[in-house]
Amino acid sequence: MQWIYLANFEIDAEAGAMPIFEIFGIPVNDTTVIGWGITIGLIIFARLATRNLSLRPGRLQNVLEMFVESIINMVNDMMEGGGRKLLPFIGTIALFIGISNIIGILPLLKNPTADLNMTLAFGLSVFIFSHAYAVRKKGFWPYLKEFAEPMAFMLPINIMGELAKPISHSFRLFGNVFGGSVLIALAAYAVPGIIPVPLMAWFDLFIGLVQALIFTMLAVAYITIASE
Amino acid sequence: MIEFGSEVVDTIITAAALIGGGIALIAGIGAGIGQGFAAGKAVESVARQPEARGNITITMLIGQAVAESTGIYAFVFALLLLFFIIL
Repeated sequence: MQWIYLANFEIDAEAGAMPIFEIFGIPVNDTTVIGWGITIGLIIFARLATRNLSLRPGRLQNVLEMFVESIINMVNDMMEGGGRKLLPFIGTIALFIGISNIIGILPLLKNPTADLNMTLAFGLSVFIFSHAYAVRKKGFWPYLKEFAEPMAFMLPINIMGELAKPISHSFRLFGNVFGGSVLIALAAYAVPGIIPVPLMAWFDLFIGLVQALIFTMLAVAYITIASE
Repeated sequence: MIEFGSEVVDTIITAAALIGGGIALIAGIGAGIGQGFAAGKAVESVARQPEARGNITITMLIGQAVAESTGIYAFVFALLLLFFIIL
C-alpha cells in the first residue's frame, strides 16, 4: 500500500495535468500553458518561414512546402479535391498534435495531449466541423434524413454511433500519450538510469508521431464519411 | 450483521479498485489479437504486392487504431480505478 501511494504521488507529479495557477477562479493546468507555448512558437515559426517567400525556396520554406504538400496529398487521397479546402484545419491539427506528442521528450515538459481536456477539445472540434461540413454540402434535411437510414428505428443507434466518435477519437490519443508517460514515470521510479531512455524514445517519438498521424487521418476519415 | 469501521471500508474499497483495474486490463487481449491480425494480413499483402507498401502501411495503421479503441477504453478505466478512486 505504501508503495502504491508513493508511486501514485510520483505519477501525479510526472504524468498527469496539474493545476498551477488560477485566472478568475478557473484553474489553469501546466499542460495548457505548454500548449500556449507551442501555439506561440508555431506562430513565430510560420512568421519567420514566410517572411520572404521566393520561387527558389530556402531551407525553412522548403520544410513548410513539404509539409503542406504532404497534407494536401493525404487529404486528396481520401477525399477527391478536398485537399486545399481542408488544409487549414487538418494541417493545424497535424502540426499542433505532432509537436505536442513529441515535446514530452524534453526534460521538465509534459505532453499537452496527456490532458483529456486538450484531446477532447480537438475531438469535439473535428465532430462539429464534420457535421457543419456535411450540412453545408448536403443541405439540412438530407443531412437529418441520413440518421434514419436504412430504417427509421435505426435512429437512436445512428445517433449513439455519431456521439461515440468524438469520445473514442479523443480518448485514443489521450490514452496512448498518458499511458506512455505513466509507463515512463513508473520505469523512472522503479529503475532510474538507462531503462527509461529507450522507453522515452519509443513512446514520445515513435508512438507520438504515429498517434498524431492516426488522429489526423481519422479526422479526415470522419469528415469524409459525414459528408458523403 | 457485522459493523465495519471506516478504515476497513476504505481498505476494502481500495483493494476492490485495484483488483478491478487489473481485471479491466484483460481487455487488452482483444486489442492485441486484432492488431496482430491486421499486421499479419498487411505483411501478406506487402509480400504479394511490394509496390503498394506505403498505402498498405497507412491503411493498416488506421485499422489498428480503430481496433485499439476497446483496449484504450479499458486502459482509461483501469487508470481511473487506480489513480482517482484510491485518492
